[in-house]
Amino acid sequence: MLPYVCKLCLNLKIHCIDQRMFCTSSLLSPLQLPSRTETHLWYVLPNEVKSEPLIKKYVDLLSPIEKENVFSMRGDELQKLALLARALVRTTITRYQICSHVSPRSLEFRKNAHGKPEVCWQHSDDWHPPPLHFNLSHTSTLIACGITIDSPIGIDVEEKQRRMKNNILSFARRYFSREEVERLSAISDPEVQRQEVIKLWTLKEAYVKALGTGFSGAPFNTFTIRFGSANPNPDAKDSAVVIVPLENQTNLTTNWQFAQVELAGSHYAAICRENDGISEGAPMKLIVRKTVPLVEEHCVL
Amino acid sequence: MATFTGASSTTLFSSRQISRQCLAPTRISGLKLVSFSQRSNLPLSFRRLQVSCAAKQETVEKVCGIVRKQLALNDDTAVTGESKFAALGADSLDTVEIVMGLEEEFGISVEEESAQSIATVQDAADLIEKLIEKTSTA
Repeated sequence: MLPYVCKLCLNLKIHCIDQRMFCTSSLLSPLQLPSRTETHLWYVLPNEVKSEPLIKKYVDLLSPIEKENVFSMRGDELQKLALLARALVRTTITRYQICSHVSPRSLEFRKNAHGKPEVCWQHSDDWHPPPLHFNLSHTSTLIACGITIDSPIGIDVEEKQRRMKNNILSFARRYFSREEVERLSAISDPEVQRQEVIKLWTLKEAYVKALGTGFSGAPFNTFTIRFGSANPNPDAKDSAVVIVPLENQTNLTTNWQFAQVELAGSHYAAICRENDGISEGAPMKLIVRKTVPLVEEHCVL
Repeated sequence: MATFTGASSTTLFSSRQISRQCLAPTRISGLKLVSFSQRSNLPLSFRRLQVSCAAKQETVEKVCGIVRKQLALNDDTAVTGESKFAALGADSLDTVEIVMGLEEEFGISVEEESAQSIATVQDAADLIEKLIEKTSTA
């Protein structure tokens, strides 16, 4: 009996620490906040969320302004995406069980001077909020939320199959730097070229979102993302990526860490955060979790 | 351009009918008319206001067309000047592609700061008009 069971276990997909759980967030075991050297990425697939009672639960988590924004979207599909994005960010942040008085519904948000959303913590004399940073991104088929401690973060996701309406090189010439256009033009396979343009877009977008100064704060053609050959491991998920500012702009630094991953086999995701000063040159310690808010989660290897 | 010489021989034309006739040619040609061959009871400033509104509508419609194409919207999805790009489902990549489409269509160049402030179709049309005016007076 025993050897048969063991063989069966080996054939199952191995999940890391968090087992698949079907219960409300209050019953899920508390999750540790990411360390200063870790980055957490959570994602939900809207097509997997179909239960009307569950969707209603998500609506109940939202603030009045968020509800207004969600229902101002045109059509059911867009409303569902907007709703899931808010539900994801609220449930993800409170998944870390930061404090008893913080619940998905009680979280408040505000925008910084440039419009980047951030948590507006309720301060009190005996409680100091964690330096938690988050960033959201979504397509019509995937919504993702990145979490860090003590570091600005920017993420961007795009469908792998996304077709540009404009000619791909015209697009690159309009928005990317000369060095980047040269690199992309040299790719002979049009499909690979299209993929590389999309991937580069997500990297640049993640960087600008991490900076938090808006699209005009760092126009895309004022910096180059260059892939370093310094990485000794050619199979590493992330390359040593450097930002090369075209002019000596004091607000752009080369102190940023990047990661690129594929999610759900359907999306490219780029994550950008500050170097933590400890793991210089090493790949980003990224933990990715797939989730259905309030219902389940599991690590994705 | 329609002629109004026929109207001058009779006093039966009301000012409302004249304004309708004044508007029709401007919408077709898209040009800003400065003077009319026909005597009119309407004050000059009112006529000019009608002319500039017509030009903007054409621009708005062209922007709507480009947005529809980029976002692959259904015919039953209404797109007007008030439509917000985000509410129509445009993400950041859609927005920059739309800006590119507008630049090509209108022969203008849009700065990143200006692109960031565009939230609705009307915002885009207004910016286009401003940029066209700048290049034509330069």
